[in-house]
Formats: sequence, structure tokens, C-alpha cells
Amino acid sequence: MNGWTTSELMAAEMSRHIADGEVAIMGAVSALPMAACRLAQATHAPASWFVAGGSGAVNPHATPLPQSSCDDRLLDAACVLPLPEVVMLEGRGDVFDVFFAGGLQIDAFGNTNLERIGRAEHPRLKGPGGVGLSFLPLAGRVVIYTMTHDPRTLVEQVDFVSGPAKSLTGRGPVLIVTPLCTMDFDPDTGRARLRTVHPGVTADQVRAATGFALAVQDSVPETEPPSRRDLEVLRRLA
Amino acid sequence: MSSKVVSTHDAVAALSFKTLAAGGMHMHNNPMAVVFEIVRQERRIERLITSPSAALAADVLIGAGLVDEVATSYIGFEHLGLAPCFRRAAEAGAVRVLNLDEASITHGLYAGASGLPFAVLPPALELSDVWRSNPTGYRKVIDPFTGVAVLATEAIRPDVAVIHAAEADERGTAWLAGASFTDRLMAMASKRVVVQAERVVSSQTMKEHPAGSTIPGFLVTAVVEAPGGCRPTASHGNYAYDEAALQEYLRMARTAEGFAEWMPRAVPAAR
Repeated sequence: MNGWTTSELMAAEMSRHIADGEVAIMGAVSALPMAACRLAQATHAPASWFVAGGSGAVNPHATPLPQSSCDDRLLDAACVLPLPEVVMLEGRGDVFDVFFAGGLQIDAFGNTNLERIGRAEHPRLKGPGGVGLSFLPLAGRVVIYTMTHDPRTLVEQVDFVSGPAKSLTGRGPVLIVTPLCTMDFDPDTGRARLRTVHPGVTADQVRAATGFALAVQDSVPETEPPSRRDLEVLRRLA
Repeated sequence: MSSKVVSTHDAVAALSFKTLAAGGMHMHNNPMAVVFEIVRQERRIERLITSPSAALAADVLIGAGLVDEVATSYIGFEHLGLAPCFRRAAEAGAVRVLNLDEASITHGLYAGASGLPFAVLPPALELSDVWRSNPTGYRKVIDPFTGVAVLATEAIRPDVAVIHAAEADERGTAWLAGASFTDRLMAMASKRVVVQAERVVSSQTMKEHPAGSTIPGFLVTAVVEAPGGCRPTASHGNYAYDEAALQEYLRMARTAEGFAEWMPRAVPAAR
């Protein structure tokens, strides 16, 4: 037994990808990135910002954090933007440094799909839809997260591109965080490669759970576990 | 001065529409009182237009078999799960899905509210498959200033919008507590607006609310007093969403039979 949960490990890892002064944004099902942003603010990035999804709340203070990205408890915040203005700013392409994104499918290149699994006519699974994922090409960096690491979720090619990996103004996807590992992207091929394995997980386990051919180096470091301070902050937010 | 406050039954019975927009985001401010009345009166909706992230209101209308096509960027229940009726209908081909994204809905509503012929979108959006999957909603046009092809989407001008407010007065002016999401924009873009309010208040009270949180009465056709009218979704500033009730919905609505069993329990008698 570790002294922390997988979600805590993932939130701590995601928080390290927010630098001080940066502005992050996230969509629905955003309890994990919200916790990561709050942790960053409480530790290494006190001057960072985040916009909590559809609520439009900028740096919400709510403790604990609500599960829904549109909860009215989030409105106790540094300020609140009306949602249409969040959408306006997403289009500028120079406002948001980090965009946290998820998907029913995530592919080897970092494309994400919230639309459907299977063909357009009679899909096997109709997803909810991509909301703002089509804005990913205008974010500085994209951090992808999923609570499900299996071959159906991590696929060679998504069935529908909701969130494009190709970037117009930034670097595109830089990181995938799953319950088993973190991945980054090979600058030459653009493909995801194993970056770290979470403590207790082997590279072979990750490979078996991944639906695309994952590049694995000879020695893969472990994901840095959350510190005692990280856990104090995260447990207040949970 | 005649009052715009009517019963939910009369408000819905008086409506004539092909396209209907329903407000609220995720499990918040879904105008369920009016939606349940639309179901009770079995009103057909040729095109349902949602906010960027719809939940129960859209799923119930689709589950009731009233929606021919739905223009949306998301129908789901966030961390609670997928939208069961939307999923079933879309997989079976029983509802036509017009894929949009949040930018197309927001800028489309701006265009509708401002009399613009259509909305032009930021360049990134053509990299996704959304516009390719919806040929009726998108066109490529030439930017007359640069000569570059850009993506355009239809102006959204719903026949009717149904919006939840915390307060409204007899002349139709409404105050949206908490986040107003795209609801004010939706009201401004629509030809007719039905407001369901937690409370009907005096016009004096309405004057105290800040700019940007209200819908002026001249845009509003009818006001319905509906305390608790978003349940089981949340009403910002009034009550939280009922997670147990939503979980029960998600469980029961997984099958058409279960949804049929859930509906009469949820739909209140005519008021």
C-alpha cells in the first residue's frame, strides 16, 4: 500500500506541469485538473490562474472542490467570466497556456475523441460530444488525462477527432496522465512514448494496457509520488 | 398593465415553434418545469438547440421521442455518466445529431442575437472532425480581407427559448442568479422566450440586480412561477442538484421501458 491514491498521484503530477504565472483551462469532468491547479497555486505556482470550465470562475476558492465544473460554489472566485467571454478568449490563441483535456479515446498522436466509438451511422457508443475540445490547437500546451487506461481508450487512431493534436499557436499535446503512467511525445515521430511509470507498475503492464505500439526506453523512471505537503492540500480539496 | 405570468400549461400551450432552445449547463439551471410540460403536451420539436453542455432537459425531450434533430456540442451528465436517452436514440438513428462545438453555438447565438447573417469561426476549428460531420451547419467562406478560406456557421435564431431564472417580475424581466452560462445570449437570439422563475417578484426588486445578470422583459413572452422547477438539476443560488435522483434517472433511463416508468413519476400534474 502506498500512502496516497492514484487520483492524488495523478493530480500531483498534473500540477507540476503548470508554471508560475501561467493560465490553465479545463472542461467537463474536471475535478482532477481543478485539484491540480489548486495544488500548483498552493505550492510552486502561487501566481498561476485557472478557469474552471463552464462556470467561468477564475481561481475558485471553494474547499472542498465540487465535482461539477458548473457548480455555483465555484463562483466564490477571484472573478467570474460569463461563459460566452470564456469562449471568446479561447479563440484568441494567446491566452491559455495549458488546456486539460480528456476523451473516450486518446490516440498515439494525442488526438482526443468525445464524439463516438464506431462509425458515424449507428455508432457502437455515442459519446456526449466534444464541447470545447476543438479549441485545443489554440492552447499553449495540452495535458491529456484519463481515469481509464485500457486498449479501447488508448488507441492507434481515434474514430473521430474532437480535440486535434495538431497545434496552430502552441506545442499541442505534451503529456498524457493515466492511472498507470505518464507519456510524452517523440518530437520526431509525434507519437506517444512512455515517460514514467507510477510506483508499482511495470512497463510491460502499461504496454499490455495500451492499444497502440508504445515506445519504451530501456529504463523508465518512476512517477514522482505526491509529497506530504501535496497530500495535505489535496485532501483538503477532496 | 397586463401581467406575463401564466400557468406552465398555458405558457406551453400558447407556443408555436419548430426550433426550440433549452437553457442551463450540465446539471445546473435545466428548465425542467417547462420541459416536463412540453412532454405532457407531447409537443414535437423539429430541432432542439442546446447550450454548449446539455444534460437532463435535452435527454428527457429526446427520451420522450419528441425531437427530430438536435443541434448540440455535448449532452451528458459529467462525472455521473453518459446521457442514456440521447445515447440510445443516436445509436439507433432515431434522432439526427447536428454536431456543433461550443464556439459554433456561442458565436452562432451571437449572430442570431445581433442580426448577423452567419458567424465566422477561429481557424483552429477546421482541424477537428466536427464541421465535416455536419454539412448543414458549416460552410467555408473566403475572408474578404485576406483571401483565406475560413469556417462559418449558421446564425442560431430559435423560435422559442426556455430559460430558468431565479427571479422574474410581471413584465417579464428576469434575473439569473449565479452563472448565466449562455442563457442570456440564448434569450437574446430567440424570437420568443419563456422564463420559468423560482419566484415572481416586484419590479422594484428587479432594479437592484447588476448589469449583465438580467433579461429585459421586452424580450420575454411568458413567465411561469416554478419553485423547485429545475429539480433534480440545480438552480444556481437556490439549491444543488440531487445526485441520488440523477443517479436513479441514469439507472432507469438506460432502457426505453425504464424511462417510460420514470417519466410519470417526474412529470408533475398540470399547473
